[in-house]
Amino acid sequence: MRKILKNEGVQAFAASILCILLGMLVGYIALLFINPSGAGEAIMDLIKNFFNLNNPAKQLQRFGNTVAKTIPLLMCSLSILFSYKVGLFNIGAAGQYCIGVCASLYAALQWHWGWLPCMLLAIVAGGIAGALVGILKAAFNVNEVISGIMLNWIILYFTNIVLTKVKEVASPYTGYLNDLNPKALLPNAGLDRFFNGNQYITIALPIALIVTIVIWIILNKTKLGYELKATGFNSKAAKYCGMAEKRNLILSLVISGALAGLGASLLYQTGYMRWECTAASVPGMGFNGIATAFLGGLSPIGAIFSSYFIQHIADGGAYVDKTVYCSQISDFISSVIIYFCGFVFFIKYLMNTALAKKNKKDTNANKEGGEN
Amino acid sequence: MDTPYAIEMLNITKRFPGIIANDNITLQLKKGEIHALLGENGAGKSTLMSVLFGLYQPEEGIIKKDGVEVSIKNPNDANALGIGMVHQHFKLVECFNVLDNIILGVEDTKNGFLQKKEARKKVMALSERYGLSIDPDAIIEDITIGMQQRTEILKMLYRDNEILIFDEPTAVLTPQEIDELMQIMKNLAKEGKSILFISHKLEEIMKVADRCSVLRKGKYIGTVETKDTTMEELSAMMVGRNVNFHVAKEEKTPGDVVLDVENMVVASEGHKMDAVKNVSFKVRGGEIVCIAGIDGNGQRELVEGITGLLPLKSGKLTLLNKDITKESIRHRNKMGMSHIPEDRHKHGLVLDYSLEDNLILERYFEPEFTNKAGFLRRKNIRNYANKIIEQYDVRSGQGPVTIARSMSGGNQQKAIIGREIDKNPELLVAVQPTRGLDVGAIEYIHKQLVAQRDAGKAVLMVSYELEEVMDVSDRILVLYEGEIVGELDPKKTTEEELGLYMAGAKRDEVKA
Amino acid sequence: MTLLIQYTLIFASVLLLVALGGCVSEHSGVINLGLEGIMVIGAVGGALTMRALGTSVPAVVMIIVVMLVAIVCGILYSALLGVACINFKADQTIIGTALNMLGVAGATVLVKAINTAANPNDVSSEIQYVDQRAMFIKSIGKFEFNWFMVAAVVALIIVHVFLYKTKYGLRLMACGEHPQAADSVGISVYKMRWMGVLMSGALGGLGGICYIMAGVSLWKFENGVAGFGFLALAVMIFGQWKPRRIALVALLFGFFRALSNVYVGFEFLYKLNIPAGIYNMMPYIVSLVVLALSSKHSHAPKAEGVPYDKGQR
Repeated sequence: MRKILKNEGVQAFAASILCILLGMLVGYIALLFINPSGAGEAIMDLIKNFFNLNNPAKQLQRFGNTVAKTIPLLMCSLSILFSYKVGLFNIGAAGQYCIGVCASLYAALQWHWGWLPCMLLAIVAGGIAGALVGILKAAFNVNEVISGIMLNWIILYFTNIVLTKVKEVASPYTGYLNDLNPKALLPNAGLDRFFNGNQYITIALPIALIVTIVIWIILNKTKLGYELKATGFNSKAAKYCGMAEKRNLILSLVISGALAGLGASLLYQTGYMRWECTAASVPGMGFNGIATAFLGGLSPIGAIFSSYFIQHIADGGAYVDKTVYCSQISDFISSVIIYFCGFVFFIKYLMNTALAKKNKKDTNANKEGGEN
Repeated sequence: MDTPYAIEMLNITKRFPGIIANDNITLQLKKGEIHALLGENGAGKSTLMSVLFGLYQPEEGIIKKDGVEVSIKNPNDANALGIGMVHQHFKLVECFNVLDNIILGVEDTKNGFLQKKEARKKVMALSERYGLSIDPDAIIEDITIGMQQRTEILKMLYRDNEILIFDEPTAVLTPQEIDELMQIMKNLAKEGKSILFISHKLEEIMKVADRCSVLRKGKYIGTVETKDTTMEELSAMMVGRNVNFHVAKEEKTPGDVVLDVENMVVASEGHKMDAVKNVSFKVRGGEIVCIAGIDGNGQRELVEGITGLLPLKSGKLTLLNKDITKESIRHRNKMGMSHIPEDRHKHGLVLDYSLEDNLILERYFEPEFTNKAGFLRRKNIRNYANKIIEQYDVRSGQGPVTIARSMSGGNQQKAIIGREIDKNPELLVAVQPTRGLDVGAIEYIHKQLVAQRDAGKAVLMVSYELEEVMDVSDRILVLYEGEIVGELDPKKTTEEELGLYMAGAKRDEVKA
Repeated sequence: MTLLIQYTLIFASVLLLVALGGCVSEHSGVINLGLEGIMVIGAVGGALTMRALGTSVPAVVMIIVVMLVAIVCGILYSALLGVACINFKADQTIIGTALNMLGVAGATVLVKAINTAANPNDVSSEIQYVDQRAMFIKSIGKFEFNWFMVAAVVALIIVHVFLYKTKYGLRLMACGEHPQAADSVGISVYKMRWMGVLMSGALGGLGGICYIMAGVSLWKFENGVAGFGFLALAVMIFGQWKPRRIALVALLFGFFRALSNVYVGFEFLYKLNIPAGIYNMMPYIVSLVVLALSSKHSHAPKAEGVPYDKGQR
């Protein structure tokens, strides 16, 4: 039993569950303040999401919608955790996601490219945006959080300017891919059948899973991962042993940005979303990626589950009683969850000291004492 | 109650997870005396002083001040009892001036505003009285280590402390500054202050202390009057046996030049002046060249310039007849340079990595450990790690998968040394390779260095310990303010002469 | 022209207030990346107060009460940062980010709940304060003088005097530079850091309400404060953590922000026919350039961002 509790993964899982419960609790309390009578029901609606519907076919369809939106979130989450392994907090993922939207939609609507080139362009655009943050950090020592935020806003206005050229005349939205350039839509490859014909389920799903596994492999099995993690843990030691720390820093942000850009393409090229050219802020996807990255214990595999969970309650927000509550309650809950994720190290520390204390009582500590 | 003792620490026991740092220790400090506390690194001196200063709470034992039992829960309590401490690493705010540092924590205010006039007067008076000659407006980062130490002393005097603790105060000073400090300490004692002087340097203790208490491995060994004892006796008390400090090594004629440093200049990171100024020297195969000097005279920059961590401002580096001035760290490694860094936690190890991952830190990219597709070859890494662990006797809880952070300092250092020596380097740069280690580990490491030399390899060592410099090296280069001021043969020189060079009091034109 | 000066001054006031907040916090050793969220909370507190007070109270009361509420809201919210980063040694970046997101989400939920409660058909996150805003403004010819400008100047003087002339300022800065040194002379590092964080909360909250009243009379809380908290951090870095320099830099940044509001009024700018988005980008681009120029040799407090652990010496 103790061995299980000592396992890193188990601890991370337990800590995440605790964060979620605390987040839910705070959300529930907030709902109580707004209107005590329906709070319990509202929180249940949130958790139930598509189970609120009573038709299994409809449920499956809506489940598909949540999955479609989980995919970009998962990519953003990978983006955050990948750079975090190198010791960088890529809050610019939100902007890199945004430039991915800009690139893929513009290529699709203005140049009428096929789905693959559009997707590649989004990846490249995200990668370049990431590289900018990396170069500013490596060459000028600019804090990546501040430069990331600045770039987010620059990219937002840039995207608005660019996509205004391909927007519908009558609305602030970009046109429908279905009508204007169906070949830019990602192929369904028959996957929609598993979700009751949900057209937004495309090859994005297998692509996302493959990318996740690839990222896991890079981090854990390869030379590159070994270098990047060493840099993240101790950049001075990395430099000492001859790793090109600045190159690694930029490289990790390029990959990080490319992941965010890919995420944008995997959502917008399903036709699920259109861009609003008067948008006043970058999409929250990149920020929610922070929540899911930490909630998933900074593991790519964990991110799959945490991304689904966060997206699940985000969509669940649509089912709360709008005459009393608002759907942003799910944003509220996920930001509370991130807040508690900040305590994860403390929670793990508590677990470990509790275990150590027990250990000591049972057996005498081995001789390997530290000098400190 | 009338008692001759200012402070008594009776039967103090302090445990940390895994070790007993202080085991039933008794220390009695008489009023107006200078009392030395002697012991090796890790003997428990610092822990004991931290207990006295309220930084740690002992599990057992009591502390008495003037014969009355007191409880010291934090530095404030210690301060209120008139106990002050000059820490080994100064506790000074570098961007503040001297005066602000002195008054910090005990500031005078009027209507909430700082009043510095009175404080300045008092500081100047104290400075004069004890011969400290200090400028209250100087910024800490601009003044010498010696002056910084005086600021620390003034901090205690300004608070009217009666019991003054000096934690290894001479480690960072030049011999001249040490003499001055000794004089200051004697003045203080004459004025009725009681002084606790922590050191592992026998000579200083004999010179300045009235009595000396010795600790060894957390245990109290005894207290002696310095006038009734000898250095040999103290040394035996400290280490528990008469150790032969001398490292056995045979005569050897140096071979070809391995490292050639020509007119090397390295910029200083914080200051305008260069840290290394036009330094030239050679290291040959089969010799141990030691860079001696007081900490902070450009040693760090010299080493980082050679190993590639810092760029050279000008000059030329040649390794095995190849110009490496502009080469990357990786390339220098591949060419046969190994580096045992000064700070094993900062540079030498990735503490959150396992031992095996740390052992391949400089070789992970080699075909043995990474295949063509870029994947790590875990099996080979494990085998290699096991080999090093066995060969260099690196002990750890779980072998190759132990997280480096959880290992003891000595074993961490052994792992680094194994890693660096196993590369079979032509040039081994070892900076303070024995810092903070116990006698056994020191002997082991010295033997390894000599073995390298005997195998015909070049060794460049940096050390701040005179004894180590004299024992291990074949040739000594003294670095003072970024310049080489002397080249000495350890067999023909004395520690005193070396000290004069280190203090800049003596210098030759060196053409190495 | 008058308009440009007016907007420059008011945006500079916002940046100055918030940057001073960041400055005090960082001098104590805590990087406050949550200023953005603190601004939102201060803004929502102030805006709701304006709505509650209506238009019947005298201007003096309105000004004082609204400012005080914004300050108190900022202080309370920043306590979340303090608990996490000082007492629990949490990662300051994660917590700051969480607070930014929580600020927007929390304010939106709150305002929507209040709006919906008042009128079931109203699901917006907007608050209007046309008449209330007028009370903060004194027109001098064409120039609209705003009491927040005074608040910013007062804050500048207070922070400067606090840091350099009082013992708490001295102690606070010692905690950001060398907490072990502060601890060794009996200063409670935790207390000082709490002080820094709460002061930054007060200034951030005040800056928040100032921001949403700078140019408009209604605010949609879903939009947050458009990265102004981070712009303020850029101002602080370029100002090298020194209050007086920060004030000058705030004016510079304020000018670029003001341009995007009033460029239409300048014929030659208008004729260039540059999209509005370019002007909107300006402050962010300027700050990136400025950061690139000034971050290499930064004068940041040495111990900032490092949680203080009494056990580690």
